[in-house]
Parts: sequence; structure tokens; C-alpha cells
Amino acid sequence: MKFQFDNFSHLLNMDGHGAYVWAAVAVTVLLMTWLIINPLLQRRDVFEEIAREVSREQLRQDASREGA
Amino acid sequence: MNWNWFYRMGSPRWFYETTSRWLPWLGALTFILLVGGLVWGLAFAPQDAKQGNSFRIIYLHVPASFLALAGYFLMAAAGAIGLIWKMKLSYMVMKCAAPLGAVLTFLALFTGAVWGKPTWGSYWVWDARVTSMLILLFLYLGVLALEYAFNSKDVGNKASAILALVGTVNIPIIYKSVDWWFTLHQPATITFTQAPSMHPDMFQPLLVMILGFYCFYAVALILSVRVEILARERKTSWVRERVKQAAQNSLGATL
Repeated sequence: MKFQFDNFSHLLNMDGHGAYVWAAVAVTVLLMTWLIINPLLQRRDVFEEIAREVSREQLRQDASREGA
Repeated sequence: MNWNWFYRMGSPRWFYETTSRWLPWLGALTFILLVGGLVWGLAFAPQDAKQGNSFRIIYLHVPASFLALAGYFLMAAAGAIGLIWKMKLSYMVMKCAAPLGAVLTFLALFTGAVWGKPTWGSYWVWDARVTSMLILLFLYLGVLALEYAFNSKDVGNKASAILALVGTVNIPIIYKSVDWWFTLHQPATITFTQAPSMHPDMFQPLLVMILGFYCFYAVALILSVRVEILARERKTSWVRERVKQAAQNSLGATL
């Protein structure tokens, strides 16, 4: 196994094909990262929502106990 | 015959707890495979004699296309299981597989387009393979849209599942398109019946990338199914227990 390019700028340029190859890499990495980040963010939101629901129910229960 | 395992698999709680144990390992494996395979393919694999360096797009294009197709099978199978056994979890898998598959199909088309420009001289051609992949993208989007087109969740699930099943007709067409119509797209490099028509130095990183994409698909699907489970089971005590734990331990919110 051998590194195929002379230096870093050669790796970027890829003998004129760099723009195509790196565009494919950039879009793929971006979208795949989004596919992982998005459910993690949604999960955080759902957790917060449920926590709010729980505390609201708690308050209602406390209030009804005091009222009685 | 003991069917307990089957019913247990249908239990959202069982799924959630099992995947909690698997996810860190699967995530690490995915990361290693994808980063390793990509560096290997982009910088260390020898360049193609005819296509030069543009051929390196294969390391994204082929795995994305594989998963776009495999993902469709999975989505349709989940839809069928949902229709037959009315399994809640199965519809959740179907619902989460649709956007995931749509993104992978888009990636297959996009990487194909930027590969097509230096190789065929055009970003887009109405080649049989390309066109059938575009139909696959529309099928994914259709399943996704149908899911939300009805007021009743149950009707939406059923309609999506039926569209997904009818759409499987397209899958063998995509596979065979390169053999039935001799248009621009090259025939399959990897088949089950023959040795790959590719030098091992080029083929090995591709294999790593394909494995990496399969693992990635599993991780992404599991993550979104878990969110779906939490949202739908929000009233149950086990979900509330999780939320309480997470609130106490802020780190827990990330896992």
C-alpha cells in the first residue's frame, strides 16, 4: 500500500479531478453527519418534553391534594 | 414452536434496551470502518488506468447505492410485517427507513452525477440505471409523504406499507437495468457469482466502505427508531424512569 500523491496539494487537485471527488466527499459527509445528529437532537427534545409533562402532572396532583 | 422471541422483538421496550447496549460498539465500529475505508480509498488505492482519480468516487457511490436498495427491501419488509402482524415497532422501522433511504438514494445520484461529468461528459443522462434510481427516490418520498397524508396514523401506516410493497417491483429493474439496456452505466463490478472485475488493491477498500455503510445504516436507523419509541411510549413508566435518570445525570441525555 502506497500513498498515491506527491504532496497535499496534489491530493486536493487529484490531477484535475479533485473538484468532483471532494464535492462527492463533502456532500456525503455532510448528509451522513446530519442523519446521525438529527435523531440525537430530536431525542433531546422528546426527553425535555416528557420531563415538562411529568412536572406539570406533578403540579396538578399537588394542587388537587391541597384543594382537598 | 416457541414464538416468544418474535413477540419480544416486537416490544418497543425490548428494542430500546437492547440497542442501548449495542449502540456504542456499533457506532465505534462504523466510525472506524468509514474513516479507514475512505482514507484508504481516496489516498492509497491505485488510480484507475482509464478514469484516473475520478474513479475514487466509487468508494462513496457504490456503498450508497447498495444501501439505498437494501434499505428499500428492509422498509418494504417492515411494512409487510406491520400489515400482517400489526406490529407497532415494525411500522416505526418502516417510517424511519423512508427518509434514511431517500438521503442515501440522493447521495447515490449526486455522487453519480459528479462522477458522470468527468467520465461521461455530463452530470445527468437519462440512462436506464440513473432513471430507475430516480424513481426509487420518488418512491421513498412517496412512502414518506403518504405516512403524513392521513389524519389517522393507522391509515397512514397501512397506505405507506402498501406503496412500499408495490414499489419493490422497481428493485429488480434497477439491478437488471445495466444488463437489459446497454446504455451508459457500466455493469455491476461486484456480483455473487463471479470474482470482482477489479484489482484487489482497489476492491479491498471498497469492501470496507460497503461494510461501513451497512453499519452506518444500522446506527442511523436505530437512533431514529429509538426517538420514535420514546415519543410513542411517553406515558409508560419505563420511559419516564429514563427521563428521570437523564435529568439527574446530564450526561445520560446524550446516550
